[in-house]
Amino acid sequence: MGPQHWLYTIPLRLRSVFRSRRVEQELNEELQFHLEQKIEEGIANGLSPKEARYAAMRSMNGLEQQKEEIRDTRRIHWLTDFFDDARFAIRSLSRTPGLTAFVVITLALGIGMTSGTFSMVDALIFRPYPVPHASGVMTLASTTHDSSFDNFSYREYLDIRGKTKSYDGVIANADMEAVGFSDEPTATPRIKGGMLVSANYFRVLGVEPRLGRGFREDEDQVPGRDAVMVLGPDFWKQEFASDPSVLGRHIRLNGTDFTVIGVAPETFPGMLIFGHPDFYMPLAMARVFSTDRQKNFFEDRDDRELAVRARLKPGTTLEQAQNELAVLAKNFETDYPKFNRNRGAAVHTQFELRTRTDDGNWKFGVIFMILALAVLLVACTNVAGLLLSRARSRTREIAVRLAIGAGRFRLIRLLLTESLILASLGGLVGIGIGYSIVLWFQSFQNVIFMTDLPFSIPFRMDTRVLLASLALSAFSALLCGLVPALQSTRVDLVNGLKSADVDVPGRKRLWGRNVLVVAQVSASLMLLTASFLMVRGFQHDLREGTGFAKDHLLMVSFDPRLVQYNAAQTQQFYKLLAERVREAPEVQSEALTQNIPLGTDDFDGIAFVPDGFQMPRDRENFNSTMDTVDEGYFGTMGIPILRGRGFLASDTAEAPRVAIVNEQFAKHYWPGEDAVGKHIRLDSRAGTPAEIVGVAQSIKYQNTSEKPMDFVYMPLAQHPIARMTLMLRSSGDPLQLVQRVKDVLRTLDPNLPMLHTMAYEDYYQNQAVEGPRIAMKLVGSMGTVGLLLAIAGLYGLVAYNVSRRTREIGIRMALGAASSDVLRLVMGKGLVLVGIGAAIGVVMGFGVEQLMNSMLFNAGGVDVLAYVIVVPSLFLVTMLAAYVPARRASRIAPTQALRYE
Amino acid sequence: MSKPSDLVQGTLDLLLLKILALQPMNGWAISLRLKSISGDVLQVSEGSLYPALHKLEQEGWITAEWKQTENNRRAKFYSLTRLGRQHLEKEAANWSRLSAAISHVVRLEEA
Repeated sequence: MGPQHWLYTIPLRLRSVFRSRRVEQELNEELQFHLEQKIEEGIANGLSPKEARYAAMRSMNGLEQQKEEIRDTRRIHWLTDFFDDARFAIRSLSRTPGLTAFVVITLALGIGMTSGTFSMVDALIFRPYPVPHASGVMTLASTTHDSSFDNFSYREYLDIRGKTKSYDGVIANADMEAVGFSDEPTATPRIKGGMLVSANYFRVLGVEPRLGRGFREDEDQVPGRDAVMVLGPDFWKQEFASDPSVLGRHIRLNGTDFTVIGVAPETFPGMLIFGHPDFYMPLAMARVFSTDRQKNFFEDRDDRELAVRARLKPGTTLEQAQNELAVLAKNFETDYPKFNRNRGAAVHTQFELRTRTDDGNWKFGVIFMILALAVLLVACTNVAGLLLSRARSRTREIAVRLAIGAGRFRLIRLLLTESLILASLGGLVGIGIGYSIVLWFQSFQNVIFMTDLPFSIPFRMDTRVLLASLALSAFSALLCGLVPALQSTRVDLVNGLKSADVDVPGRKRLWGRNVLVVAQVSASLMLLTASFLMVRGFQHDLREGTGFAKDHLLMVSFDPRLVQYNAAQTQQFYKLLAERVREAPEVQSEALTQNIPLGTDDFDGIAFVPDGFQMPRDRENFNSTMDTVDEGYFGTMGIPILRGRGFLASDTAEAPRVAIVNEQFAKHYWPGEDAVGKHIRLDSRAGTPAEIVGVAQSIKYQNTSEKPMDFVYMPLAQHPIARMTLMLRSSGDPLQLVQRVKDVLRTLDPNLPMLHTMAYEDYYQNQAVEGPRIAMKLVGSMGTVGLLLAIAGLYGLVAYNVSRRTREIGIRMALGAASSDVLRLVMGKGLVLVGIGAAIGVVMGFGVEQLMNSMLFNAGGVDVLAYVIVVPSLFLVTMLAAYVPARRASRIAPTQALRYE
Repeated sequence: MSKPSDLVQGTLDLLLLKILALQPMNGWAISLRLKSISGDVLQVSEGSLYPALHKLEQEGWITAEWKQTENNRRAKFYSLTRLGRQHLEKEAANWSRLSAAISHVVRLEEA
């Protein structure tokens, strides 16, 4: 059937649906015409008018039957039936507005929580890159023992690009970096986020510049020659008010003039989840930006700063690409053993990249998602229970329908239409709730990202999330509607017709209900346990402390590369800066560090071989995180030196290399021995030895929930770093020192910007306390909603049971049962169900606890207290929910109860 | 309805299309025409005429229009669409092939 066919049939179908009365009338007329002709023919043949009429009717095989047959040919039956069902459902739902509202709100809470958290999981894991045919874009990574997502060096990138055949283009980019930006030469630079990319970046990704052009190949060939840049869409809008004349303009980046050649389109905010680069520069301009000072970006094969992506050729499998790259990595190993020993390479899909084990955000997302689904499950079971009791009170209606010939399938459809309408309403309200959750997430934008770089919270209520919410609504309609529909259409006709509310004995029909209650109790117990554990986990982390003093500290970062200092100038700058700020009376002490603890930037890694430690056969060296600090650091941060000494001013570049390790490191490599006096060799067995002169107490380095980790400190004088953070301990309000620093800076270089100027404690509050607090609130509200729904569900069940058994209870009491007997009778069943549910819930709770421990928290083992508190309180609360209606039952006056009908 | 006069499944469609290919007609006229052209061999029950017509209409092979009859009464006239004509050609060819094959087989048995 081609489009021609639809040309004829679609208008007809539409007409049947929308002009149904007219169509019906025409059908009547048509058949009437035939009938009259037939009668006339009969009369002409000599029959009496009456006989002719009978004969005509007979030959037509019954008019109504024919009409029905003809209506079937219109093939819109399913639709008109659906409309009829929907109309009927709306009418019957509006007869019980209270119940309907309760059901809609319950479903809305479940769907809303799920769609809200899905927006998070989608952004963190599933949302495709904002480029055409995103699924073909692979991430190539260098792999070591410790990481399967290492970067490549520039040389390695060129080799991959030249020697692989699986791809339609291989691209590279460095991390988004802080760049000093000024649109006039005299202005003090402001900090923006710039990204170095290969010239083919936009072309391979399939991103058409909205204005101007992308980079040309020749602009990325000669280091330092072509200072050109492409602007990001947001930056163009904010900084240049979407002015098209920006093309060709000169803009100063880190002191070098760049020419704007293009603007990326609105649809391409960048390839990162959180960051949206303000502008892009070709890799050949790397020297102007923050590449490793001690390495030669264009030559050194171990200066690994590039993330490499590639577009898989159509028809090439991931496996072929993997094999090809593995061979290449092997060749690297043979050709450059010094840099590539024990180094492999892997091709990762976007999904693999997003769910890398060393990243925590998506794990939170997944755990939230599991919990939200549990809320939805509780909501659906709740609604299923309600619909079931509702369907039971309609037993007679259903029995009548079946008796006069309605098919069971047809009735199930009717009942499902009802739950579909409920779920659609719930879905609509739920999308509203989900949207407010997304807004709530977004309101933490400034709290979470305390940085000058363009980061934003990527959670959105977009089409994908909307579609997912609709799918969820349909799914919950089925989930909460199917069981009641199946059960209530399995009616014993004889009994069903006899009385309005028969109590069909038999375990089968109660079984479904019991399962619902058990599911509800267990899911909400799991939810409660999870939220309790999460709250306890965070509290534990925070109570454990960070191991250093956070108060009275001011932090200011500097990056002399922004004003084109060379290495010597940089060192001189920091030396003078430290000396001069120390003179201020309010400054108690001063420190310089490459990274602040619990900061947003990752610590550098260091490769080393420890003295006297038996290296495993397959390893060239070990890795550890590290920081570069000056001699004031340990004192200023209040980190105790447990053995040996801290860094001294005498540890100069000319003096023997020294290092300080943390307690964890010392225990790891020299258990039971004194680490002081031992040596580590940098990079490899043949590397420069550095003497360990002190052991510092372990602190929290990257986040408050991390497991204890190895850590090495190197002295700034022996390991110069361009971008450093000045930490000042003040006697009073640390923010009062800002003016002091400004004054000092003016004497040194007024063009150098101060970055991230803030009190460390504020930073810590936002970074380490506020984030977990948001998570706790979210999980806490899920737990609360789950519990409330479970209470409502249990209450409903017991109340329903009581009303169903009113007569029976009346008889029992008339025969002499005490009210305590009745109470026991009614509550006993509920208690058993809650018990089973709790048992299952505890098992599920253990599961979630294992999951959370493996993903998030350092606390191992089982948090017994959580169960000791959660399980009995759940019992107590659910018993209360059952007690209220049970008590009402025990007060039933026999005379009234027996008069019940 | 007695067995012999029941039409082979699908042939009623073919007959109707063929009749309408000659000229647009209303249901009553079609039933008369069916009777007259096929003698008493093919008797179409009036009970299956209209469902068949409506099915053809829904398939897009014929289209309907309200018009005056010769004695000035309003009736629904059916006519063939372009799609219907194509379909008729195809079906007619099929029919010829099928009936030829069957006749051939039947003759074989006689010999």
